[in-house]
Amino acid sequence: MNEFKLLLRKDIFILFNNIKLILKNPLRLLPYTFVVGYFSFFYLRRGNRSTEVDTSQIGDLRDAANQVEEMNFALQNLSGGLTLLALIFLLFKLYQSTKKNVSFFSMADVNLLFTSPATASNILLYYMVRAIFPATGGAFLFTLYSTAQLNEHYDLNIFNLGIMSMGIMLFFFILSPIRFLVYTLNTKYNILPIIKNVVFALGFILGLMILIPGLMADKFWQGMFAWIGASWFDFFPLVGWSRGILTYLGHENIWIALGFITVYFLSFTLIVQVVLSNAGYYYEDVLESTKSNEEIKEKAKGKREASESTLSINSNKKLELKDFGQGAVALYWRNYVNSSRQDFHPLFGVYGLAFAGISIIFAVLSQFEWFSHHVIYGYLMTLIAIYFFAGMGRTNVGDLKKPYFILIPASWSSKFWNMIKLDIYQTLIFAFILIIPTVLIAKLSIGLILMFPLCMTMFYSTGFAIALTSAVGFDEGWDRKLIKPLIIGGVFLFGIAPAMGTGLFAYIISQQFVYGLLGICIGMGIVTAVMLHVTLDILSRLEFKEI
Amino acid sequence: MEFKIFIDLMLAVEGLVKKYNKQNAVNNITFSLDGGEVVGLLGPNGAGKSTTMKCIVGLLRKTAGEISIGGHDHLSVEAKKLFSYIPETPHIYDLLTVKEHLQFIAQAYSVKNWQEKAMELMAIYELDDKQDKLGRDLSKGMRQKVSICCALLPDPQLLFFDEPMIGLDPKAIKNTKRIFNELKAKGKTILVSTHLIDSVETIADRIMIMKDGNIIGNDTLTNLKSTFNQDYDSSLEDLFLELTKDE
Repeated sequence: MNEFKLLLRKDIFILFNNIKLILKNPLRLLPYTFVVGYFSFFYLRRGNRSTEVDTSQIGDLRDAANQVEEMNFALQNLSGGLTLLALIFLLFKLYQSTKKNVSFFSMADVNLLFTSPATASNILLYYMVRAIFPATGGAFLFTLYSTAQLNEHYDLNIFNLGIMSMGIMLFFFILSPIRFLVYTLNTKYNILPIIKNVVFALGFILGLMILIPGLMADKFWQGMFAWIGASWFDFFPLVGWSRGILTYLGHENIWIALGFITVYFLSFTLIVQVVLSNAGYYYEDVLESTKSNEEIKEKAKGKREASESTLSINSNKKLELKDFGQGAVALYWRNYVNSSRQDFHPLFGVYGLAFAGISIIFAVLSQFEWFSHHVIYGYLMTLIAIYFFAGMGRTNVGDLKKPYFILIPASWSSKFWNMIKLDIYQTLIFAFILIIPTVLIAKLSIGLILMFPLCMTMFYSTGFAIALTSAVGFDEGWDRKLIKPLIIGGVFLFGIAPAMGTGLFAYIISQQFVYGLLGICIGMGIVTAVMLHVTLDILSRLEFKEI
Repeated sequence: MEFKIFIDLMLAVEGLVKKYNKQNAVNNITFSLDGGEVVGLLGPNGAGKSTTMKCIVGLLRKTAGEISIGGHDHLSVEAKKLFSYIPETPHIYDLLTVKEHLQFIAQAYSVKNWQEKAMELMAIYELDDKQDKLGRDLSKGMRQKVSICCALLPDPQLLFFDEPMIGLDPKAIKNTKRIFNELKAKGKTILVSTHLIDSVETIADRIMIMKDGNIIGNDTLTNLKSTFNQDYDSSLEDLFLELTKDE
């Protein structure tokens, strides 16, 4: 049997059927058209401007920029920071491979292909190579998106964009075969402890590579990325190689980029060879991960309810909790029990402790001038943004995905309040635990103790209200998918952006972060009130979608 | 809203329409259930049985029509106190144990001394040794049993069963049939949608048959047989297949 022909034909059928589906409902193309329009806008704008720019000035500007660069720690930290993020991601993926196998397959493959007389190794080889296509497409789009702002300074064309995409694509593409290799080797030789130790040792060495130059410098933040941000770090496997390819725009040396690409392809060939010679009958190794991949896809599409127990760390906890009250209070009781099993305490958990700990560490280090207060402010704003998105994700889980929320005999307002009550308590407690020691240690403005928790709660509630309004107010399907970004865009444009603008204005005038946050709070207070009012108004229209 | 004409009825549905996009899933149907009546709702897949039931209990928004439960608008808090609903897919919480599900329902429906009743229900459905198990660790059949226990705990006047037997083992099916009889003896009103025709044949006072969103038969089994020229010896299954066959 020619497995490659068979599999290729199957994929061509799937591709054609997808095209037919798009032709049946061209509305599906609208979001993509929007993305293309977005990119085109930036690129066309560049095209218009580039004709007006005197090219001789660019050389002068570059010389000036090079002089500034010598002293520019910010640039070094940016490069080092991005490298660090990629390294953390790599270590996480390597560690993950010791826990769970990666799968290139779907459940249809498991049920139809694995039981057929097709050669196991050919199926695996086909899917491993095929994985390059989605990685290429994703990487190219990502490159286009992330370079949309750079095209005013660089001459971006298909060639250099293609090379940069390769840097991203190869990094993400090769992770899956590596994870598959790690799992396969472990299944055969039981080398899990060794791999784990290697991952931890690598993490330790990388940690030292930040700590040592940081301690050697005048100020820690000036030296911390001196090593991993240096050009010789381009030779570090995967992360360094990709950086070497991605920075083609800067060095413009095609041989360097091609060299790293070649190293990638040689590594891939080697990995495939080792996997094929060790995988054997890998079917049962991939069954579990294929199943969970499918579940994740269904959850993402909303076909399956997202589990509330995913990150629970105390699920076997025995509880003897008394009744809290009657009617809608049962929802609060349910959330309390659920939260008791998710963490070591229903009101404050280990994740909260970790986030608060980071802030306190920043505060302590700022006293030794390792970090400026701006790092703490940036961290606080990041947390506010995270809570905003967490609020938006809240409608996918919990009570709104169970019929009881609708069936319980109580008023809508009391059900809504009891549903979010615990979240509000948790947010406030977390915010206070984080901000009080941070303010006292770093000697920040006392006003932050009030402003930060208030801001967190308002952003969380607004995020929740936006998601709920679009979910309840519009029927299932494309209209919701199209309306949701419009609602989010509208609230952002007419609500959040003016609130942030008020905050920025207050900050510029006063040069005090606390007044900036006060400005945001005043603006967001109005936004939150309006959004909660709208939510309560349309909550009675809530429908239960049985999955 | 006026419900004068329905005042003696436990459930009254008037001109119910449910549209999904432009397609009618339920097409202007009208029916009612008297207090203490047991009605079997039959129909092929996609006939609109579940949609009808979900519109009645308020899980889906109706496109048009009026629904009253015990003389109250079906979406009112008063109406919700009167009924329980058992969905075809059991929806239980991942991080609540079996017993905690019952405690949750007891609080939500203000059930006094719920522990005794909960123990009794858990014993009937052989959940007593699993009362401390989390929802996520239960099989689909077990989840369905929990869902049934949750619906029975408040001891409501009106019960909606949407394919309650799916996923149950033979013993649980037998127990559910027995519970139907006990509920009927207690004078409860029941609307049960099922594909297991024999499970309603003996117990139902009336049969409603749906097809393509319409009610094509709504009477006692004897009257339906005579209306559609069926032999007295023929079964409900024969009648169902005759009525729902494609033209």
